[in-house]
Amino acid sequence: MSKRTSEAARARIAAQREAVRKQEKRRRVTMIVTIAVVAVIAIAFAVWSVRLGASEKVAGGLAPVTVEKNGTVVMAQPGVTAPVVDVFEDFQCPACKQFEETSGSTLKNLAAEGKAKVVYHSLTIFRQEPTMGNSLRAASAARCVTDGQQWLAFHDKLYQNQPSETAPGFTADELIKWGKEAGVNSADFETCVREQRNAAAHQQLSDKTMSEQKLTGTPTVKLDGKDLETNVAFVPSSLRAAVEAAAK
Amino acid sequence: MVHLASGTSVSERLQPAKPALSWVTTAARIVLAGVLIVAGGLKIGAPALSVQAVRAYQLLPDSLAQIVGYGLPVLEIITGLLLLVGLFTRAAAVAGGVMMVAFVIGIASAWARGLRIDCGCFGGDGTLAAGQDPEYLWELLRDLGLLVCAAWIVVRPASRLSLDSALGFTGERETTDEDDSDDAEDDGA
Repeated sequence: MSKRTSEAARARIAAQREAVRKQEKRRRVTMIVTIAVVAVIAIAFAVWSVRLGASEKVAGGLAPVTVEKNGTVVMAQPGVTAPVVDVFEDFQCPACKQFEETSGSTLKNLAAEGKAKVVYHSLTIFRQEPTMGNSLRAASAARCVTDGQQWLAFHDKLYQNQPSETAPGFTADELIKWGKEAGVNSADFETCVREQRNAAAHQQLSDKTMSEQKLTGTPTVKLDGKDLETNVAFVPSSLRAAVEAAAK
Repeated sequence: MVHLASGTSVSERLQPAKPALSWVTTAARIVLAGVLIVAGGLKIGAPALSVQAVRAYQLLPDSLAQIVGYGLPVLEIITGLLLLVGLFTRAAAVAGGVMMVAFVIGIASAWARGLRIDCGCFGGDGTLAAGQDPEYLWELLRDLGLLVCAAWIVVRPASRLSLDSALGFTGERETTDEDDSDDAEDDGA
């Protein structure tokens, strides 16, 4: 009698243990599945984000580049006059460097494909040293380059070697060196850079452009005269889509 | 970190003993989740800008700034979504709280160093437009407020309208501290 009771009790306890064990197992499986789902979603977001940020490669050659008399620089296939992409930039501005690294190649490709006329406007937005001096030296040196292809190569060099915002940089010696590396071969280049011959002209154009275009910062990218959102300008695929849409 | 709140045992705290307080946790979850999802959502679409906003603080070496620029929006959105649906609530709140502490340190240090930047909290490249002034005080107060929300959730993770209770991650079972720290590791990674 008592033996049977204890057997029943033991069975009941075993069944209870089993139930708890099963519940525990179910909970564990649910948790693992949930963690896996969360991980998959996180990875999907990350992959999507990385792809959005990816820059284009400059596929073929460049469109012809022309240094205009007023100091702006135009990159476009012959006869392409629209849509116009205006790039307002400062060689010393870190966000401009970021824009160049992210979307510069897209603009080169769009111009080469005959899908856009790209106009570069070099500005000096800084009003304090050392950034103002750095920007002025770089921009006035760029104006010493009269050949378009050389100018663009110099432009890219300046961004690659952009100094910190807290230290003097873009020295005359550096600018001359990078100019030569960019293929600048005019005899006058070195003197032009050293005496900052174009500083005043650059500053004047810069101030005029900033007030006329109502710029609040750099880089500003305009498509047919309208500000492009940074969310578009800094996302190569979106920038391309916006320019291609404007061509229609 | 999970343990510093009070002397009561974790299993006690996981029971929504006081219904009103569990609704406070729900509210805190929604506030923190909303801000994180919006902040991450506005940044994730333009990772190059996000990287630039991190660089504007001039705190991290470039490779790390890249990782944070790309990773932070994803982390914000995932943490926000977890808080919104109440899944791994405590671990998500710890992650949210850690982010707020990092933001407070970043903004305070930018202020102390005299930088003139936008916090880049909700997109942008961290630069101020011409004529715009930094709003460090407001940014700090906002993030400290969110830190309070996160701390509340860490202390009282049991709340209404949460998947944790629906899936049985809290409640009847014998909750041990060990289980909870497991959650934190899995999620925080």
